[in-house]
Amino acid sequence: MTDPLDRPAPGTRPDDDTPEAAKPGFLPIETNWFDRLFISVVVWVALSLFWFRFIEPMGPSIWISNAIALALAALIITKG
Amino acid sequence: MQSRKLGWLLLAPTLAVLFLFGVVPFFYVIYVAFHQWNPFAANPEMIFNGADNFRQVVFDAGFLASLGVTMAFVFFAVLTELIIGYLLAQAFMKDFPGKAIFRTIHTLPLIMAPIIVGSIWKLMTTPSIGIIPHLLDSWFGYDLNIGQSAGAAFAITVIMDVWHWTPLVTLTLIAALVSLPPDPFEQAQIDGANKRQIFWHITLPMIAPAVVATVFIRLMDALRTVDEVLMLTGGGPGSATRYVGVHIFKEVFPRTNYGYGSAVSVIVLYLTIVVCWLLYVGMLAPRNTKKG
Repeated sequence: MTDPLDRPAPGTRPDDDTPEAAKPGFLPIETNWFDRLFISVVVWVALSLFWFRFIEPMGPSIWISNAIALALAALIITKG
Repeated sequence: MQSRKLGWLLLAPTLAVLFLFGVVPFFYVIYVAFHQWNPFAANPEMIFNGADNFRQVVFDAGFLASLGVTMAFVFFAVLTELIIGYLLAQAFMKDFPGKAIFRTIHTLPLIMAPIIVGSIWKLMTTPSIGIIPHLLDSWFGYDLNIGQSAGAAFAITVIMDVWHWTPLVTLTLIAALVSLPPDPFEQAQIDGANKRQIFWHITLPMIAPAVVATVFIRLMDALRTVDEVLMLTGGGPGSATRYVGVHIFKEVFPRTNYGYGSAVSVIVLYLTIVVCWLLYVGMLAPRNTKKG
């Protein structure tokens, strides 16, 4: 866990050797681990709401959506 | 090491206030959103109901309709504020007689409480006593009645928001424009660039962070508009101006449906974050140049 007081000033980019350095992945933007976690949460919520509205009335449980979201989160965090 | 301790010590009061008034209510709203809770019902206890409130939200026609009109409101209000704010900021960059007085008057709406703004606009738009219906009738023969016309009510709420918040956009854009170095502009003029080219290729890219920050602030504010609109139209006529903030207010306070209101609030917060993030990705985020 990086000490917040050690973080670079707003508007500056972190050095490449810091733990927060952006790394290239399949996402179209440069991301650090927190960005990818954030994107995973956004995707999870969007998928859950979509599931509630369109899929769940046909029968499949929300837990399937949660499992898909978890798999997507693992993919985004490791390869994004 | 000593300076780090001192840093944390100096930050502590701010962090404590942020935690108490920001983090705790945020998690409490999420907690309540997973409960059925009506403190004035026969059973005033909080009853855990899983994600049922969220299931209810996605099928709530009233909420979905309010989301649609809110998006339209945000789009028209923020875009208009940005355009007028930029033009005014450019105007204030030049010297003209009475500039200081005009700038002061132009900033006055910012210091007014939203409920006062709503009251003023209600007085100005009330048929038979309001100045706006009177002038529109005598100049164009148009009968403005925001209690009956959904389109007029929507337009007046947008105009009211633009009137109230354009000064904020102007001030932030003035700050951005003042801080720009003169060299790229002089060089572009020497190279023969016209005003439009200078705007699109130099001014706009250089003030983009300020523009995005301003849009973030206005977007977040516009998405949670309640008091002005509640005072002016009460969300009507029908549901023409029942923006999500008004929808949540009517769900939580008159109906005391706190669990459902919290779920709607969480969804609106989620949408606000997603819209701001998409805007950031579209305009500012560094692109991934390497393929992993």
